[in-house]
Amino acid sequence: MWAKEMKQIFERRFAGLLVALLALLFFSSQTVVAATSDSTAVVSRIDERFDSSQLEKGSHVPEFRQHVVPLLGRLGCNGRACHGSFQGQGGFQLSLFGYDFEADHRNLLEGDDPRVRVDDLDASLFLQKPLEQVDHEGGQRLKKGTWQYAVLKRWIEGGAKGVAAGDATFVRLDVTPHEIVARERGQTWQLKAVAVWSDGMQEDVTPLCRFRTNNDQVAEIDEHGFVTAKGPGDSHVVAFYDNGVVPVPVIFPVSKKTGPEYPEFETSTRIDELVVKKLRKLGEVPSGLCSDGEFLRRASLDITGTLPTVSETEAFLSDGSPNKRDTKIEELLERPGYAAWWATKLCDWTGNNDRNQPNNGPEQRLRASRFWYEWIHGKVAENQSYDKIVTGIVLARSRLDGESYEAYCERMSSYLSKEDNASFADQPFLPYFWTRQNFRKPEEQALGFAYTFLGVRIQCAQCHKHPFDQWTKDDFDRFKNFFTRVQYAGKGRTDGGNTKAYRDMLVALDIDLSDKDLKGNRLYKQLGQLAMNGKTVPFGEVVVSPPRAPIKAEKLAGIMAEMNSEKIKPKKKEQLERFLMGRTATVLGGKEMRLDEIEDPREILLAWMLEESNPYFSQSLVNRVWASYFNVGIIEPPDDLSLANPPSNPDLLNYLAEGFRRSGFDMKWLHREICKSDTYQRSWEPNATNLNDERNFGRAVARRIPAEVIYDAVRTATAGDREAMELCSLVEKRAIADTTVGSYNNNYALEIFGQSTRESNCDCDRSMEPSLLQTVFLQNDKEMLDAIGRRGSWLDEVTRTIPSFRDPAAKKIYLERTESIDNELAELKKRLENATKDGNKAAIKAIQKSMKAREASKKALDDSSFFPGSVAEWISENQRLVSEIIESAYLRTVVRHPTETEMNRSVAYLRQSPTAKDGIRDILWALLNTKEFALNH
Amino acid sequence: MAIHRTCDGVLRRDFLKLGALGTGGLSLSSYLRWTHAAPVQPKGARAAIFINLPGGPSHMDTFDPKPDAPSEYRGDFKAIKTSVPGIQISEHLPKLARCMDKYVILRGITHSLAAHKLGQEYVNTGNRPIPSLEFPGYGAVVSRELGGPGELPHNVAIPKNNQGGTGYLGVKYAALATGKTPTPGLPFSVRGMTLDGSLTISDVERRQMLLEDLDQRFSLIQEKNQLVEGLDRFTEQAYKIITSPKAKEAFDTSRESSSFAAQFGETKFGQSCLLATRLVEHGVPFVTISYGGWDTHRDNWNALKNKQLPPLDEGLSALFAGLEQKGLLDSTSVLVTGEFGRTPKINTTRNGRDHYARAMFMLMAGGGITGGRVVGETDDTASGPRHDGYSPDDVAATYYSLLGINPKKEYHTSTGRPVMIVRDGNPIRELLS
Repeated sequence: MWAKEMKQIFERRFAGLLVALLALLFFSSQTVVAATSDSTAVVSRIDERFDSSQLEKGSHVPEFRQHVVPLLGRLGCNGRACHGSFQGQGGFQLSLFGYDFEADHRNLLEGDDPRVRVDDLDASLFLQKPLEQVDHEGGQRLKKGTWQYAVLKRWIEGGAKGVAAGDATFVRLDVTPHEIVARERGQTWQLKAVAVWSDGMQEDVTPLCRFRTNNDQVAEIDEHGFVTAKGPGDSHVVAFYDNGVVPVPVIFPVSKKTGPEYPEFETSTRIDELVVKKLRKLGEVPSGLCSDGEFLRRASLDITGTLPTVSETEAFLSDGSPNKRDTKIEELLERPGYAAWWATKLCDWTGNNDRNQPNNGPEQRLRASRFWYEWIHGKVAENQSYDKIVTGIVLARSRLDGESYEAYCERMSSYLSKEDNASFADQPFLPYFWTRQNFRKPEEQALGFAYTFLGVRIQCAQCHKHPFDQWTKDDFDRFKNFFTRVQYAGKGRTDGGNTKAYRDMLVALDIDLSDKDLKGNRLYKQLGQLAMNGKTVPFGEVVVSPPRAPIKAEKLAGIMAEMNSEKIKPKKKEQLERFLMGRTATVLGGKEMRLDEIEDPREILLAWMLEESNPYFSQSLVNRVWASYFNVGIIEPPDDLSLANPPSNPDLLNYLAEGFRRSGFDMKWLHREICKSDTYQRSWEPNATNLNDERNFGRAVARRIPAEVIYDAVRTATAGDREAMELCSLVEKRAIADTTVGSYNNNYALEIFGQSTRESNCDCDRSMEPSLLQTVFLQNDKEMLDAIGRRGSWLDEVTRTIPSFRDPAAKKIYLERTESIDNELAELKKRLENATKDGNKAAIKAIQKSMKAREASKKALDDSSFFPGSVAEWISENQRLVSEIIESAYLRTVVRHPTETEMNRSVAYLRQSPTAKDGIRDILWALLNTKEFALNH
Repeated sequence: MAIHRTCDGVLRRDFLKLGALGTGGLSLSSYLRWTHAAPVQPKGARAAIFINLPGGPSHMDTFDPKPDAPSEYRGDFKAIKTSVPGIQISEHLPKLARCMDKYVILRGITHSLAAHKLGQEYVNTGNRPIPSLEFPGYGAVVSRELGGPGELPHNVAIPKNNQGGTGYLGVKYAALATGKTPTPGLPFSVRGMTLDGSLTISDVERRQMLLEDLDQRFSLIQEKNQLVEGLDRFTEQAYKIITSPKAKEAFDTSRESSSFAAQFGETKFGQSCLLATRLVEHGVPFVTISYGGWDTHRDNWNALKNKQLPPLDEGLSALFAGLEQKGLLDSTSVLVTGEFGRTPKINTTRNGRDHYARAMFMLMAGGGITGGRVVGETDDTASGPRHDGYSPDDVAATYYSLLGINPKKEYHTSTGRPVMIVRDGNPIRELLS
């Protein structure tokens, strides 16, 4: 899987680059813009130092890492479709995106027929191929007389040296200007990129960088780093060099209302201040605040995953107090819906999927996934801080401190027992995060861990340098070492590593170990059953292997030095890596840490995540929560925190991430902070300046309601008053508390509305896209129609008190049906007489039964209170009731009163309906099918 | 609207949607005007079936055998003669060998995206993926261009769509996914499509008018917001589908005569082909069938011989025959493709073949093209096209041309950016001749 993803990324991004590079060659050595020389300390551009006039020997020798490899990248040599391919190309391989300097150097200089011939420069295929002096499948990539040629040639003349152990390392890339604000189309800028090395050397590497625009509608950037403004909007251009990835914001205001021309208005909160600061640059004026009804609906759906009830809406709309929105937010955060819905979101991000749980434990078939949900739900309900929740997941192991295997099994069995009231949710850890079948290998754990808690995608770095982030393959390999000692032992692991205790327990349960049929699923089903009946059964467990015998610091230092040496043979390096595995590990972007004296390496990982300087932990959660409220994250997609994918509003993200940390990772702090801002409470109605912007939060963005929430919303909106109240307070049976993701009998409606599949370490497992099938469901699915008309529904409730008035046309039908029943009864009576005469008891019984049924139908017809008048007459006699009913239909679906037009239209519809019940049903149906219902707005 | 995101770490649209909005963006009303006007029917094909084989089927072991290649390339399968002299295909495709005259094999199609998702996006859209824009799949373009009876969906995916999204055309052209495949002999329908017996058409019509009148809250942004516009379109379309007996009938494969249905066999793929035939017959302009399982990194020959090829052989040959029996082959353009081929050189450690985009096969049939031919050629080891080869873009341009759609036609994205339906390809003349 990783291989695919990595290739995709490469290919997507660099498809165009090859073409660009070819173009570059034909541009010859002329650069578009003369170099700037504002700093004397900076080594000048390589294309100036190596123009064709300076080709004579003795000039400066370029470096492999600083110049040659980046140049190969610019020439397209190490691309995925060329020598960067994992099989190489034409017998020659380079590391993809050129970050494996050792291997690249080796591949260039070693072998029977090395590409680089220091002794015979002109015979070097390294030059001959790209010059197309000999056949080259990749065509001509290099021309004599260019600076590129000069650089490669001089490097060989200088001995074609690679990277040595003591060489300077890359520190950072400085790119200027730091921000581009455009005034008109066609305006241009030249980026300048200066690389800073650990020995203090600084070099203008602009001609060696790769460049990319994140949106060519806003700004284009060519291969020389020359930026052209294209149109209004907000994006970034990005420069890449070595391990540096530097995005430069490009802002092209959408109106003249920027800076001093921007209208003055008060901002209520820090969030608003920061949002408006960005909008001011863009010339975007935010929309006004939304109505009370919109606020109530939006906040209820977002915070509690629940539609407000009619009585709640009425109370809120008529409440005159100025703080009522803040009060409502506080109230919503205490509702059971809050804990249920946000537990579900946390289950999305942590990957709670029944199908991934081992099929060989007594918790199989939805028990483990229910435990998982309940555990998180318990924490959210008591507002445990996010870091505490994460601690319970990260450090999870199955047994408590000092607990024996038997005691552990007894405790676990009690969670399954029908008798016992013990709850899994009360125990300190959530081992199921670690028992997932797609989370067993260290690689998988590293990927899943980074996704869940850091919002970072390190898939690419599993095989090669991440093309859009700082991560290298080495970073990945060292990071994954944190996980090598965490394992799932399906049959427990007692001292000495055996499974004797497990077997003993089976024997004690009278389970015949020799019964070949009783294994796998069947065995575990039976164990599950026994546990439910109060027996103690054996369980699998998450264990952390003890540290290996520590190695002395000097020895470690020696090994590290050897590993880092240029001369080490690949085989030896592999050996050493194996030796070090589990002994040392490196947090992303951090230092090498020793693990061999630490009982649980995950503790280091956790400590690192919780450090104040950790850039991911707080940001990733804050950003995901923000995205839940605003449709898009400040970083979008929300689970892709990477250098080339910068936040649309860094100050805003920092403020929230910092505040969240300072609050002690109090999730309710975050919800309050967001919900109480004007930014959250803005109207969806756009103005001319913010119409097209969905990323800077100048207005609300209408979005489809998530699967579980819309499913529940249909149930609440169609429910009678009592049931609706119940649905709001007893959330266990609601879809927002669904614990069956990944089961084979998934709910159809939830599936088509895009409930998260929780499968692939991606927030996009949840789909928010609408589809025709969803509309077909809402309009016509039996489940939907049954919800409207079911016993106990609102429709049932309101129409029970009003007679089924029929219009005159129905009278005819009524009379016809009564008449036909009468005829049938007469016929049956005759048959009964005959049967009595014959003494046929069975026939008598059957006929009597039929007659009884006919009489019942007749009574039902009469009871339907046939009314000689029309629905229209009834309406005119009951105007108040009618408008109350229509009001209620509106309040329970779109959470507002109908307008006069809407009221008139609804009454008119009712007037023409065959019965009042039909008419009311249709009005409710129509409201459930409006966009206003399906969207959160 | 929520932009479709991918899992590959690539930010698809980091921008404001700004610019000349509304100038070219197709609004619902203009769309409706267009579909309500009698569309000019193109010559040749009026419908298209796209058979997607996600995973990337091995070209050498199917339609591009190299019996004389060295053993590290050749593989276990023999090549057999087909009904057309000189053309050989794999021995495990006997039925398709017998009906070679119905279709064309394209060999040596070539590209460079050897990753599933990107390759899929490429062959599903005919445009090489780029970061800043999502291209629409064939189904979205064809349903937009050809339209179709209002009471039928214009784009159906059996059982679901893989990568043929709607891209910049927006969700309103999205495929209706059946979610399942028919079971032989049993009535088939898509859930929710049949109207409750207690409602009359006039009841439903009256109710629909009420909905239209009450659903006005977003009329202000109706034409400026793809989400709102798309939902409007779905509302109208769902109504038509639900109220028409035609839709119900079109999906119900059990109404086919048993002799006709029998040739498709009982596999899911065969039943999908049967359903596709029936849908096209009833006027659905675009049907996608997805048949996966081709990612044979390991145990390639066993998987192909015992699992993958028999249903393909039976189902596809029946599709060609069935379309012909119904007189639909000439008016239905069929394209069969995976996202790439597989490495000609055998991966001996896993006894499989890996991703390989430099050479792959595709099949085309119907829509007025002459079958019984091979177009294009690969070298002796099937490692690349013998000459320049054709790209997926070229095939796309051909496919659209057969349907009377000008592949160079320009659309405007919601930001006003002009984009041609197929940006780089040219129709393959050899194929159209």
